Amino acid sequence: MRSLVLTGLSFMLTASVIGNAYYQKKQFYPSVVYITKSNPSMAVMYVQALVFVVLMGKMLRALFFGQLRAAEMEHLIERSWYAVTETCLAFTVFRDDFSPRFVALFTLLLFLKCFHWLAEDRIDYMERSPAISWKFHFRALSLMFVLGLLDILFVRHAFYSTMSKGPSVQLVFGFEYEILLTVVVMTFIKYLLHAIDLQSQNPWDNKAVYLLYSELAMGFIRVILYVAFVFIMIKVHTFPLFAIRPMYLTVRAFQKAAQDVILSRRAIRNMNTLYPDATPEELSSGDNVCIICREEMTSGCKKLPCGHIFHTSCLRSWFQRQQTCPTCRLEVLRMPRPQQQQQQQQQQPQQQQAAQPQQAPNQNGQAGVEQMQNPFQNMPGMFGGMPFQWNGAGAAVPPPPPYMWQPPPQQQQQPQQQTPGAAGQAPTPASSSSSSPTSAAATPTTSQQANTQTGGTASAASTSMPSTQMPPFPGFPPFLPGMMPPVFSYAGFPSPPPSMAGLSDEELRVMEGVERSNIEARIQWLRDIQALLDGAMVLINQYNSVASQINSRHDGTSAPQVVPISTSPSSPHQQQQQASSSTTQVNWWPAGSGARPKYSSTISSTHVTNSSKERSGSLSSPSEKHESSDNVEKEETKGATGSSPKEAEIPKWSDPREEEHTDEMHEVRKRRLQHFSQHHLDSNSSNLDSSNSDKNNSESEEKH
Amino acid sequence: MAGSALKRLMAEYKQLTLNPPEGIIAGPVDEENFFEWEALIMGPQDTCFEGGVFPARLTFPSDYPLSPPKMKFTCEIFHPNIYADGRVCISILHAPGDDPMGYETSAERWSPVQSVEKILLSVVSMLSEPNDESAANVDAAKTWRDDRKGFEEIARVTVRKSLGL
Repeated sequence: MRSLVLTGLSFMLTASVIGNAYYQKKQFYPSVVYITKSNPSMAVMYVQALVFVVLMGKMLRALFFGQLRAAEMEHLIERSWYAVTETCLAFTVFRDDFSPRFVALFTLLLFLKCFHWLAEDRIDYMERSPAISWKFHFRALSLMFVLGLLDILFVRHAFYSTMSKGPSVQLVFGFEYEILLTVVVMTFIKYLLHAIDLQSQNPWDNKAVYLLYSELAMGFIRVILYVAFVFIMIKVHTFPLFAIRPMYLTVRAFQKAAQDVILSRRAIRNMNTLYPDATPEELSSGDNVCIICREEMTSGCKKLPCGHIFHTSCLRSWFQRQQTCPTCRLEVLRMPRPQQQQQQQQQQPQQQQAAQPQQAPNQNGQAGVEQMQNPFQNMPGMFGGMPFQWNGAGAAVPPPPPYMWQPPPQQQQQPQQQTPGAAGQAPTPASSSSSSPTSAAATPTTSQQANTQTGGTASAASTSMPSTQMPPFPGFPPFLPGMMPPVFSYAGFPSPPPSMAGLSDEELRVMEGVERSNIEARIQWLRDIQALLDGAMVLINQYNSVASQINSRHDGTSAPQVVPISTSPSSPHQQQQQASSSTTQVNWWPAGSGARPKYSSTISSTHVTNSSKERSGSLSSPSEKHESSDNVEKEETKGATGSSPKEAEIPKWSDPREEEHTDEMHEVRKRRLQHFSQHHLDSNSSNLDSSNSDKNNSESEEKH
Repeated sequence: MAGSALKRLMAEYKQLTLNPPEGIIAGPVDEENFFEWEALIMGPQDTCFEGGVFPARLTFPSDYPLSPPKMKFTCEIFHPNIYADGRVCISILHAPGDDPMGYETSAERWSPVQSVEKILLSVVSMLSEPNDESAANVDAAKTWRDDRKGFEEIARVTVRKSLGL
C-alpha cells in the first residue's frame, strides 16, 4: 500500500516536472535541457528511474517467481542491505569516476544480484516442495538462462572495456559478474541434481555427495576469483574494502566445504568398510525406527560402534555434516583404531568374550609360571608333581576349552605384548595381573579363590587332584588310570604336602575372620614351610629323576592335551618358548598354561563354592587332610550348602602356585615367595615365628 | 520422491496429531508447505507464564533432520532466552557448527534425534526455567535476576495479551 502511494507520488512528481518544463519551454529539446539543468528536476527524475527499476523488478519477479515466500523475502532484504553497504563502500573507491551511469551500473548489478539470490532460494525450495509443477521448471530454467546470459555479456563487456581502455571500474563489475556466474552455475547444478532426484522414487543417496563436491569446486573457483580480484585491485587502485566481507565469507565457505568433504569422506569410508551391517535380528528386535528419517528400518542399515543403528543413506547424509553418532554423539572419527576393534567385537562377540577373560588368566598363568620358576630352580622336585598333575588334569578334562579361540590378528599380538609385562612383573610377587577380584582386605577369600580357581581348572579331574597330593594314601580308587600315571610314580615318595586339600579348607576358615588373624595363620604356614623345605631338599634329587621320567611320559601322553593348549590365548610361539626354556628344568609348563584358561571359565562357580564353604564353617577339618579323596568329596558336599558336590570339591584342592600369585598382594605372601626364590628360608621364617603354631604341618603342606 | 525432510515432517506431524503432548499444539501452516509450522504453547503451570497461550512459528530447512529448524514466537513475550523479535534461543536449536553464544557444548546442540515435539517441550521447560547465563534478551535476563516481581508482572501482562484480554 505504502509502496503504491510512493509510486504514485513519484509518477505525479515526474509528470509535474515534465509538464512544468514543457509548459515553460514549449518545445521538446529546450525542455529536456531545462530538466537536466535543474537539480530538483533531475532528482525527481532519478527517483522516477529508481521507481521504474523497482517496478521492473516486481514485474520480472512476478514473471519468474510468482509470489515470493516469506523466507525468500526475508533473505532477500537481509542480503540487500549488505549489498547496498558494500556498494557504497565501492563508491568511495571509485569516487573519481562517480557518475549517473556508474550509479546506474551498480544499481543494475544489485538488481541482478537480487535475482541470483532469489533463484538460489527457489532452487533450494525444490527440495522441500511436495510437488513441482512444469511451470516451476520452465521458470527456473528460463531465469537461469537469462541470468547466465546477462552475466556472460557483462563479463565480456567488462573484459573488453578493460582491455581497450585500461583498468577502470569495469574491473569491479567484471569480477562481480563472474562471481554471479558461478552462482548461476551452482544453482543450475543444484537444479539438475534436484530434478534427477525428483524423477526417482527412492532417495538418491549420492546427491548430497555431488552437491558437496560441486560446492567445493565452486568455492575454490570463487576463492581464486576473489584473491585475484583483491590482488589486481591493490595493484591498480587501492585495497578493495567492499570485497572483504564477501571474500571472507567465500574463503570460510570453501574451507568448510573442504573440511566437510574430507571428514565426511573419512566417516563414510569408515561406515562402508568398518561398521557392520545391521543384522535382521538386530533390526527386528525392539525399536527399529531410524531416528534420522523416522521410518522403519528393513534393510540397508549400518550399526555404529556405539551400537546405534541407522539407515545407511541417512547416516551418510548426516556424516556430511557431523561425524558423530546422532543419538549419543560418539565421535566416530576420534577413534579409528578402537573402532575397528569394536567392530570386531561386534562381529565376533563370542570370540572376544572368550578372549577377554582368557587374557587375564593368561597373564595370571604367565606370572605364575615365572614365579614358579624361581622356586623350581631351587627345588624342582618339590613342585614337580604339581604341574604335572595339572597336565594330567588338562588331559582328563574331557571337553577341550569350549572356545576354540582363533585370535584375530590384532589380538594375537596383545597376549604377546602382555607377556613381557607379566614376565617382568612375575618375579615381584605383587603383579597386578594376578590380583584376584576380591580386595586385599579379604585375603582369606582370595587365597581360597586361588585354590578354587586352580581346582576349577581341573574341574572333573579335580576330585583326583587332592588325593594325588597325598602320598600317604596310595590307594586312589577314584583315579582313572589314564590320567594318573604320574601319580603312581609319585606315590612312593614320602615327600610333600600330604594334606594340602584339607588344610587349605580349614586354614581358610581360620583366616576368615579378621585380617590380622589371617596374617598370623599365614605366618604359621611359613614356619611350617620352612620345616618342610628342610625335609624336602633332601628329596630333591630323587624328585629330579622323577621329573625327567614325567617329562618323557608327558611327551607321550599329553599329545591330546596340546590341542587345548593351542587354543589358549598365549600364542603358540610363546608356548614354544616356554616349553623350550623349561625343558631343562621341568617340561610341564606348556601343559600348565594350556590348562589355565579354564580358570576363568570356572571362576564364577568357584566363587560360589568359596562362599558356601565359608558359610559352612566346618573348622574342624584337620581330619580331612588325612582322608582319601573320596572322603574329602563327601565332607565338602556336606559343607557346601547349596552347591553341587562337584563344585564343592573344587576349592578343596588348593594349588600352591595359584595361591601364591593370587595372594601376592599380601605381604606375607611376598615374603614367602622371596624366601622361596632366595632360599633364605630361615631368616624369613624366624621373623614370622612369633605367631602361634597349631597346625603348622598341615598348613605348610598346603602351601606347597 | 519429495525428499526425506518432507517425509519426516509428515511423520512428525502424524505423531503429534495422534499423541499430542500436553500443552502443545503444532502443525503445518498449510498442507501445501510442510516446512512452515505453527505451534501453540501453553504457559507451564505454576510459573508466571501460566495460563498464557503463545503462538510460535517454526521454519524448517530443506535438509530438516540434519539441520535444526528456526523457531520464533509471533506474540510478544518477555523472556531471557527469547530475542525481542521473538526468536527462540535454545541450544538444541543450534547446529553444532555455529555457536552464537559461545558457551554451548556440541552435546547439547541439534541432532537428528531431536524432533518438533522435543523442541517444543524444551521451550516449555525454558519458559518455566529461564537460563539467564546466556541471555538472548538481556533486559529480560536482568529483570528476571534482579527484579523477579517485576518480571512476573511483565509476564502476566504478556499472558493476558496472548489471550487477547
